Amino acid sequence: MLKRRIIPIQLLSGDRLIKTRVFESPRDVGNPLMSSKIYSDNDADELLILQVERYDGAFENLHSKVIQIGRECFAPLTVGGAITNSEHAIRLFSAGADKVVLNSICFTDPTVILNIANVAGSQAVVVAIDVKFEKGKYVLYSGGGGVSKSVSLERHIDTVVDSGAGEILIQSIDHDGLMEGYDLDLLAFVCNACSIPVIIAGGAGNFLHLKDAFDVGADAVACGSLFNFGDNSPLRAKAFLKNHGVSLKNI
Amino acid sequence: MTIGIIDIGVGNIGSVVNAVYNQGWDSISITKPEDLGSVSHLIIPGVGSFSFIMKRLRELNLDASICDFASQGSPILGICLGMQILGDAGSEGFHSLGLGLISGEVNLINRTAGLPLPHVGWNDVAEVNNHPLLDGVKPGVDFYFVNSYCFSATNRENVILETEYGECFPAMIAKKNVVGMQFHPEKSQRNGLRLLDNFCLWDGAC
Amino acid sequence: MIKCVKCGLPETFETIEFGPDGVCNVCVQHNFKKDVIDWSSRKLMLDKVIEENRGKYEYDCIVPFSGGKDSTFTLYYLMKEYNLKPLVVQFNHGFMRPQLLKNNERTFKELGVDVHSFTPNWNLVKRVMLEALIRKGDFCWHCHTGIFAYPMHVAIKYNTPLVLWGEPSTEYTAYYDYRDNEIEVVDESRFNKIVNLGITAEDMRGMIEDDLNKYDARDFAAFTYPPTRDLKKLRYQSLCLGSFIPWDTKMQSKLIMDELGWEGDEVEGMPPKMYDYEKIECSMQGVRDYIKFLKRGYSRVTQMTVLDIRNGRMSKDEAEKLIERYEGKKPQSLNLFLEYVGISEEEFNQIVAKTVVVPHKQDFKIDEWNPKTHDYEQWYSKKS
Repeated sequence: MLKRRIIPIQLLSGDRLIKTRVFESPRDVGNPLMSSKIYSDNDADELLILQVERYDGAFENLHSKVIQIGRECFAPLTVGGAITNSEHAIRLFSAGADKVVLNSICFTDPTVILNIANVAGSQAVVVAIDVKFEKGKYVLYSGGGGVSKSVSLERHIDTVVDSGAGEILIQSIDHDGLMEGYDLDLLAFVCNACSIPVIIAGGAGNFLHLKDAFDVGADAVACGSLFNFGDNSPLRAKAFLKNHGVSLKNI
Repeated sequence: MTIGIIDIGVGNIGSVVNAVYNQGWDSISITKPEDLGSVSHLIIPGVGSFSFIMKRLRELNLDASICDFASQGSPILGICLGMQILGDAGSEGFHSLGLGLISGEVNLINRTAGLPLPHVGWNDVAEVNNHPLLDGVKPGVDFYFVNSYCFSATNRENVILETEYGECFPAMIAKKNVVGMQFHPEKSQRNGLRLLDNFCLWDGAC
Repeated sequence: MIKCVKCGLPETFETIEFGPDGVCNVCVQHNFKKDVIDWSSRKLMLDKVIEENRGKYEYDCIVPFSGGKDSTFTLYYLMKEYNLKPLVVQFNHGFMRPQLLKNNERTFKELGVDVHSFTPNWNLVKRVMLEALIRKGDFCWHCHTGIFAYPMHVAIKYNTPLVLWGEPSTEYTAYYDYRDNEIEVVDESRFNKIVNLGITAEDMRGMIEDDLNKYDARDFAAFTYPPTRDLKKLRYQSLCLGSFIPWDTKMQSKLIMDELGWEGDEVEGMPPKMYDYEKIECSMQGVRDYIKFLKRGYSRVTQMTVLDIRNGRMSKDEAEKLIERYEGKKPQSLNLFLEYVGISEEEFNQIVAKTVVVPHKQDFKIDEWNPKTHDYEQWYSKKS
């Protein structure tokens, strides 16, 4: 039986990692290579590395970090941020990535999803969607939370799934970094709207939040602050969740 | 000990190369038959499709060389698609013949259970037959899989580990000095690295 | 809160997993240790490792040493059983108590060993203690990392491949499992998994950097695990004595008391005279235990009675009475700790509140204090 996953999020900013609150106020949370090694030694199910800034050398920075990390971490590697075409994706696969994450480009040119899926398979393409809850509905944002989009969440999910996305990474900007729990309504909505695996992000503060997300139907939970602020590690999360009936990998 | 890793320009073999290096072994890329003369072990990583990879191997005459390498008794490990081509034939792409080193056929995973394909993620394995490569690997642990097609072994004695997704299919197969792993040991952390290490230490006997 | 039906450890204990019968994995692996491991063949393995290293390098082995019962016993055992030439390596965390220093002096002089001691920069220690408390609810980062990383540097510097530690982690937690019947290796992977709280020295360096304070790699050298390649070139072996002989802290403590004149001490928050061989080396132990209680709802009294229960020396009822009576009060050392890191008790509570482990809940309304220990006035304070 396929197991659920716990995925630490690592936000890459230059040579360091940062953590935000509602996508603002970045704090230094470590060195990307060291941090990846630690997560890998703590039996993380997957490593998720997202380049945060957009500048001329941003992609090359991501690419070089992936090469370094791939040399020493032997767990599935999912990377993104600054990917705008299939050439970027292919270079990242060669560098050691197993999956790539696309976000902003999916609004302007969803055929990129198809192109990458054709080369590497749908399972290698994760589409990330950032949302805020405004005036009673979910508003999508691209550009790291900077640009609001008019397309509805449901419509955008349909578009990316039809274009060949393998997984959805749904992130609540409102809950990001507050450590008060995931947006479970958002999660439920997305799980109902598609049949591909869903990863929830934004808001995990303790292990019970992870359990809640799995109960609602998340295939995987992504955690940033949980592991950076708090005496927690993926290993401890696993032990706790196993005591509460969640099926996680055993190694 | 030098480990040869097949590199025919299809897909990313970097993770396998890194994993072998990390465990302390030296490896070289195998791009043509002559390269096989200098290695003690051979790893066949596999990305792409059955028919495409077999076509490439034939173009480079590597298919025959791999079979010769096997007949010398030198250890061979096929990973993922690399395991599948050890079989007699596969239907991915168009129907094509495999290396024929372990008898069996490769077809799409049974979809009647309604489960999405490919089979991606951590799944547990059950031991069917013992094998020296399993030394130090606890029973019932999970490995990382990415596959839409699966192997169907002619002889159950060649199935070492099996997993379940839609149907039961082999996670690891073996015959004499030839072994195949459907999962990715280079992505399966401690247990996967242990298996790779055991392979690099193995003399091919069982 | 789920608890082990046998020993009483709660689910907030790191790595605990409960079986279908309600017994925890630490209890189960203990039975394995007692009943299944072939200790005579393990001892033969140790004999072999010792002989492989004897006389070939600058020292026969490195013995990381805190002066607590475990490292004192380890050093004693290696000297008596094998008559080795070890290099004893001490990492001074900054909180060594007077009795500990006395014990150490007696031990070193009785056994006759070379000792290498290192004390890191106190200003840096104060800064990282606060940062570790904020990020992880555990201020002992410098100590955890220093104790496990520093001796490895010494091993490389003195070209001495064998490093022998005391008890294996399997004695207390389930990061590693006795049932694997494998020898626990004290390496970088273990360092990342259970020692450094998920923060390497390189991570910490960037985390505490600000406009006024810049740090470079040298400031953090003692807390940085050396490259594994350098250790592998040395053909290093980093092992626990407790992987080769069955660990028995009660027997071992009595032995070092009798043979070396090692003396126990009172520890804040512990029932008097009951466990005076445990955790006597650090003046901040009381604060450590107090934070654990705030975060996880149990502390040192629980942990010690659990060991007695597991070894059939105490009933659960007796344990519960002790826990009720002694656990969860404020230690006097808290005042010193607040002085060192420059925060108020209220700030301390706010920081720790963020790290409470579910499902435990803490109201931070504790107002009972433990009495001062006999040596409290000798603990470092700028005011004294």
